[in-house]
Amino acid sequence: MSAAVLTLGGAFRSGGAAAAPDRLPAGVAEELQRGFAAGDTEAEIAGLQGELRLRPRDTKALETLGLAYLQRVRETGDASYYPKADGVLHEALAVEPRDLIATAGLGQLALARHQFRRALTLGLRARSISPTTAGVYGVVGDAEIELGHYAQAFAAFDRMTALKPSVASYARVSYARELIGDTAGAARAMELASSAAVGEHEPYAWTRVQLGLLQLSTGRAAAAARTMRLALASFPGYPFALDGLAQSEAALGQLRRARTLESQAVARVPLPQYVSFLGDIEAALGDRAAAARQYALIGVIERLLAANGVRNDLDIALFDADHGRNPARTVALARKGYLERPSIVGDDVLGWALARAGHCTEALPYSTRALRLGTKDALKIFHRGYVAACLGRTAEARTYYRRSLAINPHFSILWARVARKGASS
Amino acid sequence: MKKLLVVLVAATALLVPAAASAHPLGNFTINRFARVEVAGHRLYVRYVLDLAEIPTYQARQDGVDPAAYARRVARGLHVTVDGRPAVLRPIARALAFPRGVAGLRTMRLEVILRGPAVEGTESLTVHDTNYAGRIGWKEIVVGADTHSLSDELHAYPKSLLQSPLDVTRARATVFPTDAPVPQLSAGSSLEAPDRVADGGFTKLIGRRHLSALVILLSLAAALFWGAAHALSPGHGKTIVTAYLVGRRGTPRDAAVLGLIVTVTHTIGVFALGLVTLALSQWIVPETLYPWLNAVAGFSVVLIGAAVLRARVRDWLHLRAHRHGHAHHHGHDHGHAPEPGTGFRGLLAVGISGGALPCPSALVVLLAAVSLHRLAFGLVLIVAFSLGLALTITGIGLAAVLARSAFGRRSFDGLVLRLLPAVSAVVIVVAGVAMTVRALPKVR
Repeated sequence: MSAAVLTLGGAFRSGGAAAAPDRLPAGVAEELQRGFAAGDTEAEIAGLQGELRLRPRDTKALETLGLAYLQRVRETGDASYYPKADGVLHEALAVEPRDLIATAGLGQLALARHQFRRALTLGLRARSISPTTAGVYGVVGDAEIELGHYAQAFAAFDRMTALKPSVASYARVSYARELIGDTAGAARAMELASSAAVGEHEPYAWTRVQLGLLQLSTGRAAAAARTMRLALASFPGYPFALDGLAQSEAALGQLRRARTLESQAVARVPLPQYVSFLGDIEAALGDRAAAARQYALIGVIERLLAANGVRNDLDIALFDADHGRNPARTVALARKGYLERPSIVGDDVLGWALARAGHCTEALPYSTRALRLGTKDALKIFHRGYVAACLGRTAEARTYYRRSLAINPHFSILWARVARKGASS
Repeated sequence: MKKLLVVLVAATALLVPAAASAHPLGNFTINRFARVEVAGHRLYVRYVLDLAEIPTYQARQDGVDPAAYARRVARGLHVTVDGRPAVLRPIARALAFPRGVAGLRTMRLEVILRGPAVEGTESLTVHDTNYAGRIGWKEIVVGADTHSLSDELHAYPKSLLQSPLDVTRARATVFPTDAPVPQLSAGSSLEAPDRVADGGFTKLIGRRHLSALVILLSLAAALFWGAAHALSPGHGKTIVTAYLVGRRGTPRDAAVLGLIVTVTHTIGVFALGLVTLALSQWIVPETLYPWLNAVAGFSVVLIGAAVLRARVRDWLHLRAHRHGHAHHHGHDHGHAPEPGTGFRGLLAVGISGGALPCPSALVVLLAAVSLHRLAFGLVLIVAFSLGLALTITGIGLAAVLARSAFGRRSFDGLVLRLLPAVSAVVIVVAGVAMTVRALPKVR
């Protein structure tokens, strides 16, 4: 691992809310820029659909339309574009089996659906078709990150940036830097990504939201709130920004405002992480009944995701572990999720689920491995402290709790309190 | 217990990826349709709301009051006639909760709104502000006979080149007509928009009223689905055939085998159902499947090996005889000891053919538990297993009869003598293949 970190040296680092299903970096946007300015996606889609009705085997139009559908999911959260993207990209491949854009596009789609091994296969195939296209390294690197192959991932991002500095490559540099604990460097890279995206509504708003989340992760909630508002101004109603602003307001202690904002995000796109955060806010406000309803909704969303074949075991396990739901089953889910996604996210969630189920000796190696990159993620560090406390190592726990609070005193609406109590005991 | 059921249904959904498909426009969507038309001298709007699973669940958490919904829809729809805002009054409504995916419901509300009088040719504007910002299909049409792309939210276009429609404003000219006042949908078109591709068998358990006829028909259907299901890969047809040929089975053996398969399969489904119910805290049920596959595969290898061993012993025995006297046909029966055509061998093969519970049978059982129709579910599963067994017995019988036809034709031969040994090898190979395929998934 140290080798990878060295190659990143000055250029790289990043990190973040890897548990969020829609943290798809701006690769799609990058591909799209070649054809048109994102933000006009809807009009572009209509145009391409019209062209394809006349010439159904136009590969160029098929693949551009596939990428535009993927971009549309980011803009609207409307997952019904996924099967359409899948369909047109496969049609492009049927015409030209070694088509670069269609192969890479299917790789991006697999990433979005959490099929990381498939994404890696597609990314590597795209790389063998064209080793000098920056975008293919984005797909390969993203998949490697989720599979826990950090050295390979960082090498791919290095190559991507060398080939083409862009929103997509800067955003990945930022994420890599965050992972290895260079939060300031990550913010600088995201600023670069942001300035490269000026004039495109969604990509710009996305980079702003990521920047805000970085600020939030270091406890600068007021700055984060300003950044999120900027994102909302450039892309009104953007659910990522509504959620980010709600998180910032919650960190600032403005729970009612946070509730309003998160309700708006949920009303647009009821993603499980939004719904569970809304429930947590309501619980913190003392509205147990409302919180219980949000948590019940989570159960329904889980059923639907499972029925649709979406692999989100780690996300479910994290939610269940946080809320003390059925610890034994949670461990089983986390183990399964870990096999699909053996990254530091997998280590962290499995360690946390084990600890919450009382298997603290087994949790220790996972929770320790979750910090192996040196990520300055207050929540993961808190989890490590919780494991120590559970093993009776009070002094060690206190150290970790203090570290997590030093990084971000408001790292979790549920757990910051626990950390404060443990740190002062 | 309720929570357990939710877990169960979720687990079930994992087991049967093909049994149902989600709302075609995604589980989040709230889909809106408005048809503005003039009947006689009056303006009417036929408004349809189609909520996918998640918004339906949210709505039902709050309690669905159709009258309140109708009023809200009327308020959110801004219509002007000749520049004057029109007042819309709900005069009729119909509400249904069609089945969605994963045992959840969707919601369909239809409202007829009565608008102002239309005396001559007048300009019309429509602006739908209901659920603004919420993703979904948004369609407005003007005129009683105007084509609706989604068939009024009954069938969404599946074309890859069709984005979800996003029409929230319309402008038109209207005039009095002699068209009739619009009506609500009734019966099945309201209850079940064509969307969930549910498996035939799993659908049986959800029926509402259980008249005797429905029960009989359901049983017949379950039998049929079981029979059809046995034809899909992995139900031991090869093994059963090979075994009966290899063992020189009789028609009676084939029938007994069918019975064993029925019983084993029924027990298997019940057992897995129990495991799922009782152990859901400890294991994710879908992880059990690779194990069951591996165990079944391994037992098939053992059965094949046993048959092969018996054949080889037979052959040695025969060779020893042949030193003494010439071979004559029809000899193979009963000459050598037949150690396992006996009940034990049949039992082993029957169990290996029936021990793998079909996911769809499990779904029925779990659905029966959640609907408090356990007895009906159990009977359906027995019928399903029986259908399964009928097919397997039929194939077994065909094998037995084909073999004895060979025997009568008497080619004395190598083919006939080798067939049993070859069958044994086939069983071993099939078993090894099953085991090898199952092993990588076992963790």
